[in-house]
Amino acid sequence: MTIIHFQFLSAILFSLGLYGVLARRSAVLILMSIELMLNAVNINLIGFVAFRGFGQEIQTFGQVLIIFVITIAAAELALAIAIILRIYRNKNSVNVDEMNILKG
Amino acid sequence: MISIDLILFFIASSLVVGGGFLVVTVKNIVYAAFALLVAMLGTAGIFLLAFADFLALVQILIYGGAVVVVILFALMLTRLEDFKGLTDNSQKPLAVLVSLTVLTIMLYAIVATAMPTSQGDAISMIDLGVSLFQDWAIPFEVASLVLLVALIGAVVLVRQDEEGR
Amino acid sequence: MDLFLVNNLIWMLPLICVFAFLIIALFSQYIPTQGAIVSIGSIGIAFLIFIFVLIDFVNGGLLPIHSSFTWIDLGEWQISWGLLIDRISIVMIGLITFVAFLVQIYSVGYMKGDSRFGWYFAVHSLFAAAMLLLVLSDNLLLLYFAWELVGLGSYLLIGFWYEKKSAAEAAKKAFVTTRIGDVGLLIGIIILFKASGTFDISSIIHVAQEGGISNDVIFWSSLLIFLGAMGKSAQFPLHVWLPDAMEGPTPVSALIHAATMVAAGIYLVGRMFPLFELGPGILTIISIVGIVTFILAGAIALVMTDIKRVLAYSTISHLGLMMLSLGSFGAPAAFFHLVIHGFSKALLFLGAGSVMHGMHDQTEVELMGGLRKKMPITSITFLIGTLSLAGIVPLSGFFSKDEILISIWEYNPWFFPVTLFGVFLSSLYMIRLYCLIFLSSARSDYSEKAHESPRIMTYPLIILSVLAVFSGLLAFPSPITEWQGFAAFIDDHHKFHMVPWITAVSIVVAFSGAFLGWVIYGARKIEITAISKPFKFIYQLVSRKFLFDEIYSWIATKIVFTFARWLTVFDRVIVNDTGIDGVGNSTKKSADRLKYFQSGYLYNYSLVMVIGLFLMAIIWWVIE
Repeated sequence: MTIIHFQFLSAILFSLGLYGVLARRSAVLILMSIELMLNAVNINLIGFVAFRGFGQEIQTFGQVLIIFVITIAAAELALAIAIILRIYRNKNSVNVDEMNILKG
Repeated sequence: MISIDLILFFIASSLVVGGGFLVVTVKNIVYAAFALLVAMLGTAGIFLLAFADFLALVQILIYGGAVVVVILFALMLTRLEDFKGLTDNSQKPLAVLVSLTVLTIMLYAIVATAMPTSQGDAISMIDLGVSLFQDWAIPFEVASLVLLVALIGAVVLVRQDEEGR
Repeated sequence: MDLFLVNNLIWMLPLICVFAFLIIALFSQYIPTQGAIVSIGSIGIAFLIFIFVLIDFVNGGLLPIHSSFTWIDLGEWQISWGLLIDRISIVMIGLITFVAFLVQIYSVGYMKGDSRFGWYFAVHSLFAAAMLLLVLSDNLLLLYFAWELVGLGSYLLIGFWYEKKSAAEAAKKAFVTTRIGDVGLLIGIIILFKASGTFDISSIIHVAQEGGISNDVIFWSSLLIFLGAMGKSAQFPLHVWLPDAMEGPTPVSALIHAATMVAAGIYLVGRMFPLFELGPGILTIISIVGIVTFILAGAIALVMTDIKRVLAYSTISHLGLMMLSLGSFGAPAAFFHLVIHGFSKALLFLGAGSVMHGMHDQTEVELMGGLRKKMPITSITFLIGTLSLAGIVPLSGFFSKDEILISIWEYNPWFFPVTLFGVFLSSLYMIRLYCLIFLSSARSDYSEKAHESPRIMTYPLIILSVLAVFSGLLAFPSPITEWQGFAAFIDDHHKFHMVPWITAVSIVVAFSGAFLGWVIYGARKIEITAISKPFKFIYQLVSRKFLFDEIYSWIATKIVFTFARWLTVFDRVIVNDTGIDGVGNSTKKSADRLKYFQSGYLYNYSLVMVIGLFLMAIIWWVIE
């Protein structure tokens, strides 16, 4: 088990999330894909922290960092869900195809 | 030589990748939510393998518990029928292409910059707690403030107005 | 006296009048007499300040009093606002404050019952402030500023009765015509600033005298500044506005278009004289313009039948005489004549106003006649003004004219005979005017029923006529005090002197003109038609004012308007359609095309974003 495993896993998960963001039609699904991408980042980070030989102190710091990432992700999720509910109430839909008032 | 660690890693990663794949492909959105849960739990496994016991717990609690529940609630508050047929948009082929390109580039970059690797140490939760509440106490408080603001914002956004808008 | 006090007092001169303007303009209806009292009070105080400063100036050995502060500091260049009291400006201040004071008092009677009584005095105050600033300013920029303000005051007062179409037109004409000169003045100032790096008049002259400015630059800038003076002082060929300016109230004509504002051009040339001296040929040009104006305007004055127009052309003529004097190194004589002409002409205009007051605003001399009995005070004072301006011997006009003739003889002897002819004309038309108005018998109902004006109007006339009689004595050195004569006061190098034969010739010419005028118009020994018949063509030409107005309106309509029409086309097609609308239209069209890039779909945007991000990463990678 080396860094490269984590990196590969992270890259694959990130690409999957990216695909979800680009290809999905429902706002909620796009949000889930974003969560996947955030997880990919976390996996990458923990891989580096644990298998790069930084020593205990840096390893601890890396874990603290991931806690912050998770925290911010949770905050972002709460707001995003709120916005989606708001849009749903206004437009009666969560279909991003219908959110095109900026269309030229 | 295949160690136990590696086998466990592959199991966890297959959960992660499989869950992630289902999230972005299944038609039924409730299934997608549960697939996300699987992916999150897989990630928790990965954390465990990387000596981050506490993070694995946090991952299960926050993602596996809170996040997925919130998403399910969101699905519940909106009408579920609306999601029927809401699968992929018109640029799906392009999305596949771009994602694969990105994946290729990243994999190439990873291979091209192969890094030396060494086994890390196990981190005790005590050390983590001391680090979090001593060295990083102020960022921790700031993060809590951010959460508070986000929650208030969410409440304000979703609150029913007087006019019922 | 304390220098600090004097320096601040100088600033009070224009400021007090500005305050009077503001107070009257804003609160006219709350002040008794609609603010006239504020205006008169402020100019009266200004006159007292003048006396105060004059005493200080004389005690200080006639040294200039200078007070300035920096307005714009550009490091290398500093533009300051400063006031300067020297020998020229003290004379001008005295003339302005005194005449303005009398004219404003007179105006109370003249303008009685006018619907914009308060506004009239407000503009009078503004004008006084601007005029004082003009003669006090020590630099060309401030001078130009005041110059334009003076023009504004003139414009507002000429067009004071703007309900009358002719008055509004005359105001416009005055403004546009003087503007031609003003543009020249501004360009001249800028050229001088570029050449010398300063606006300060004494510094510019200093630099020029040291040879710091090339002759060409001096020539052109002097010529342009002189153009400004020509516009303001109504010199040929920019004189056409002044006769029309008589559409304004008569006291305005007395103050602005006879005594003060039109003298600004003379003042400017006198102020810049050391510079003009250095320019090759400039003085000759000034002399030629002056003498042409002197003769032409004198000839026109001879045939005009409108009392105010006669006086207007007479003013133009005498301004020409002053210019001629300046061109003949006779700056002191020119200033002396400026002052005496100011008194006399203000007296004449106020007298004319008094006549009009009694005649129900009739200005046509053909309708007058025989007013001597009905308006005794006006008649006597008007006669004094007439004789003074005609240069009859004991009156003040004689002395100033004599000094001018001396300097012309010394520096421009070729012009001397022509000048004598102008002097002859001058006394002829003045006597003609007096005879037509006051002698013989009434020629209309208006003159039958004419009455003397109220005392508030006659007292200023009396005061001015006293000055018109005695101010000529200023020319002589005083036997008791240190007074060396007016010429020496203006310039130490000019000693008072007389040339007996010139004096004699001058007396003879003036008397013969006056006598001829009396014979023709007073005693009626010679029929007027008998003289005009053989010279019918010339008479026609003169009575149509040498066709200046016709030529100018032809130029305006044919050349300027045609050019303007081309410019309109250029403006509409090139500037507007191509330039402004073109930019707008092309933006609109490109936006019409480009808007399809904006799909409005979230995933499109994110796709493009990702592609861009990775392209950037790849580029960075390749470069690395």
